[in-house]
Amino acid sequence: MKVRGIGIGSMVYGVGYGFSRPDFASAEVEIAPDGTVTIWSGASELGQGIRTVLSQIVAQEFGAAYEDIRVISADTDKTPDSGPVSASRSTYVQGNAVLAACKDLKQELISLASELMGVESNLVEIQNGQIAAKDKIGKIISFSKLASEMHVQGRRTHGFGWHNNRTLDVDKNTSQGDAYSSYAWASQLVEVEVDTQTGRVKILRLASATDVGKAINPQLIEGQIEGGAVQGLGFALMEEMQVEQGVFNNANLSTYLIPTAADVPPIDSLIVEVSDPSGPYGAKGMAEPATIPTTPAILNAIADAISKRVRYSLASPENVLKVLGKIDGSGKEGFLLLEDIPYPVA
Amino acid sequence: MINNQKDVLMDLVINNKHISIRAGGGRCLLDFLREDLSLMGTKEGCGEGECGSCTVLLDGKAVLSCMTPMERAIGREVTTIEGVGRPGNLHPLQQAMMEEGGVQCGFCTPGMIMSGVELLNRKSNPNRDEIVEGISGNLCRCTGYRKIITAIERAAEKMS
Ligand code: FES
Ligand code: FES
Repeated sequence: MKVRGIGIGSMVYGVGYGFSRPDFASAEVEIAPDGTVTIWSGASELGQGIRTVLSQIVAQEFGAAYEDIRVISADTDKTPDSGPVSASRSTYVQGNAVLAACKDLKQELISLASELMGVESNLVEIQNGQIAAKDKIGKIISFSKLASEMHVQGRRTHGFGWHNNRTLDVDKNTSQGDAYSSYAWASQLVEVEVDTQTGRVKILRLASATDVGKAINPQLIEGQIEGGAVQGLGFALMEEMQVEQGVFNNANLSTYLIPTAADVPPIDSLIVEVSDPSGPYGAKGMAEPATIPTTPAILNAIADAISKRVRYSLASPENVLKVLGKIDGSGKEGFLLLEDIPYPVA
Repeated sequence: MINNQKDVLMDLVINNKHISIRAGGGRCLLDFLREDLSLMGTKEGCGEGECGSCTVLLDGKAVLSCMTPMERAIGREVTTIEGVGRPGNLHPLQQAMMEEGGVQCGFCTPGMIMSGVELLNRKSNPNRDEIVEGISGNLCRCTGYRKIITAIERAAEKMS
């Protein structure tokens, strides 16, 4: 028999390292006479798109063309320390450092633009990739003209930024406090179909709503949401590290299975933007938040479908059949029972 | 790689170019491509036929180059990702992968594109199921596959 169920999984995630641990990034930017800009950042590109996002930040701040921005990243011989890419911190912490480097230089840019256009500097505005005078319609100076003029006049063309994301720690005795500077939220909704004869679980569809603060690059975010959901799907249904006395028994891809294109359900990516003033343009970290709710959502959906809970480390066909009492294990829901989970005592 | 095998004459066509060189035999095609020809586009993910990242075309058919003895390519035609398109002259699927966001870390990408190209050569207008089947031997850890599937659909539209 095939039964269907719906489940939801939700999470809150502290972005960055929190708990007063060191969490900083530095960055540099330099404007060349031809209107190109170079960014130096220790941020490493793993495919999440941080080089793209850093370039977008600089283009936005300087009114430069995105194509004219070059990123030198993650080279200890050349780039300043930006800390690791982890804890969903690259856009949030490393992006903030690049933003600070731009701000370091922006006053220079604006004062020169105000001289060239003959307007007060508070009336100079960088918008839609152009530097314009607020009060004089049509008074516009291009970034590349400004860049070359900076060099002609010997102005400062190199900016440095440092962002410190160190937070307070929680109270040692009560564990209460604000351990992170930013929190991300995410929920996922999953519909499954469980075959009670074979124990096979099929994900019919998945919706993922992730609060990203501000979507600096929606396409990259969708990629993270979809990739995260599919990793969570693997974690729920097929990925199990079989360790025996510290040795992996399934350390290759024929025994440690990960999802293929055939396992992927339709995914609705919902990008939620609740701005966080501490992030660049309000952005928060979102990479891990995209994967955390998937597994609980799937397990909840299975419980909804079969009215029993799978508490094994994964809902493989074998474990589902155990929970259903169809093979040995005789209906036991798994080894991890609620009362086994230690709760902090107030 | 330790290799005690005798040299063989590798006479074949690679990416539309005829080559004829002596090379240490007894290795897989993947190693020959990367070590002897410096064609680094083809990736070794697992080296044991499970991930698809080493996919190349042998006489137009997708094969796993890590599981193919190099000698099997003699007298035949091999296409690698370098032969599919180049910057400025990209294959429609390469272009679509960029536009649709089908690439994250990029490690699966060359193999994924080779499987996609083979599919598009075989079938001008594949449906979603056929696309999924066509790339089901190619593992991707980053993207969740959906944008790759969409990219193949877009490429098919553009090519028809
Ligand atoms: S490297 Fe050939 S299949 Fe993985
Ligand atoms: S893009 Fe990273 S494995 Fe596919």
